[in-house]
Amino acid sequence: MPVSTDNKALIIRIAEIIISELKLEDITPETFDPALDLVDELGVDSMDLATVVLVLQDEYGITIDEDDYPKLRNIRMIAEYIEQKRNA
Amino acid sequence: MDTTNIITIPQSNKKPRKWKFSELLADHGVHQRWEKVRKFFFLRESTYDMTNLCNIRCDGCYYYEGDKQFAQGNENPEAWRKLMQEEKARGITYVVLAGAEPSMVPELLEVCYQEMPIGCIATNGVKRIPESVGYKIHISVWGNDKTSLRVRRAKNLLLKQIDNYRGDPRAVFVYTFTRDNIDEMHEVMESIVAHDCKITFNVFSSPVGYTGSLRHNRNSLERTRKVMLDLLAKYPGHVLFSPYNVVAHTHHYGLHKLYGCSYPRRNPSTDIGLGRSFRQYRADLSWDRDVACCVPDTDCDECRHYASGSAVVTARLYRHVTDPDTFKSWLDYVDTYLAVWVKGYEKGDNLCHELIAPPL
Repeated sequence: MPVSTDNKALIIRIAEIIISELKLEDITPETFDPALDLVDELGVDSMDLATVVLVLQDEYGITIDEDDYPKLRNIRMIAEYIEQKRNA
Repeated sequence: MDTTNIITIPQSNKKPRKWKFSELLADHGVHQRWEKVRKFFFLRESTYDMTNLCNIRCDGCYYYEGDKQFAQGNENPEAWRKLMQEEKARGITYVVLAGAEPSMVPELLEVCYQEMPIGCIATNGVKRIPESVGYKIHISVWGNDKTSLRVRRAKNLLLKQIDNYRGDPRAVFVYTFTRDNIDEMHEVMESIVAHDCKITFNVFSSPVGYTGSLRHNRNSLERTRKVMLDLLAKYPGHVLFSPYNVVAHTHHYGLHKLYGCSYPRRNPSTDIGLGRSFRQYRADLSWDRDVACCVPDTDCDECRHYASGSAVVTARLYRHVTDPDTFKSWLDYVDTYLAVWVKGYEKGDNLCHELIAPPL
């Protein structure tokens, strides 16, 4: 699926937030694979994800329900989720 | 202060203000505490029954309920070493070594500590665990010595426990409030303070099918709440607890109803968190997801156990970022849990002194 310019910027910003909040090293927003599974491949746990979600909520003025956490498996899915919420 | 009916959700005609997370963190003290506790978000626990041996037998003991008590103990240190290595490989970073009585198998504790350096041992404190095992040690207290003799068939138990663990930075005494030992806590507390020990509180949570005299009712929970608050106010240097801990563990609803238990036994999701990674190993090193929780065979509707709350309340960060006092209460709870469970972690002063209703 082609990535829009807006979506690409959103993906980069989400990557920045994840890198900053989880204090990840050896990775940049540009090199962060948006399809990388945050739980299985990066080892993100529930508390990490909750922290990232809180920052995303602030940044984009949306509410992310606890029940939706399993939908946020990678950066691309998070970006799509945020776009849906903002367009709703 | 009358605290009997204080835990109610405040009624207001005004729509409550919606707080952003960044606004809650704008307070310097709150931000500092957040940064302090979040360093430990990497902890991922599993629990392990170490043996089926015990040197005392207590009424209402969780170990001697259900099938796990019949597991044949595996006393091969290399089998435990291999298990710990495998646990580390699947992301476990924190071990709780429990039932029946871990001090009966010190060589196994040594092996676990060599492989997995952060964790805790739940013990009755009768036999001292060697200093080379650098885990936090929780020593269970179920009343004064008279009650211990009746309920646990152990003479001068508190004296023995204090003799074994006074001045030991690993040690936290855990007083379990049952329905019939509430007022004895003052007497126990005097001994704890006199020997400069640390203590935290647990609330007896009935095993499935238990109908004995230790089971709480609404009245005993209210009495427990008052004693906890009195002692927290009187001995802040010796009591590891917070007002929100009091609320969470003495509410007439159990922890599952208040927060939604995230242990596998009550949580079918394997997507993330405890439902995905937690295992409860029996003494024969087997495990069964369907019964896995921190205190197996507890009646889930009655569960107010301190170990359960440490995971379940902490996991509900999201629900507690609604306003400054609720978030401060959550931070106090997590700060308490870390001080109780992680060696070397020092508890800070509580940030919220009000009794805040759990966000349902």
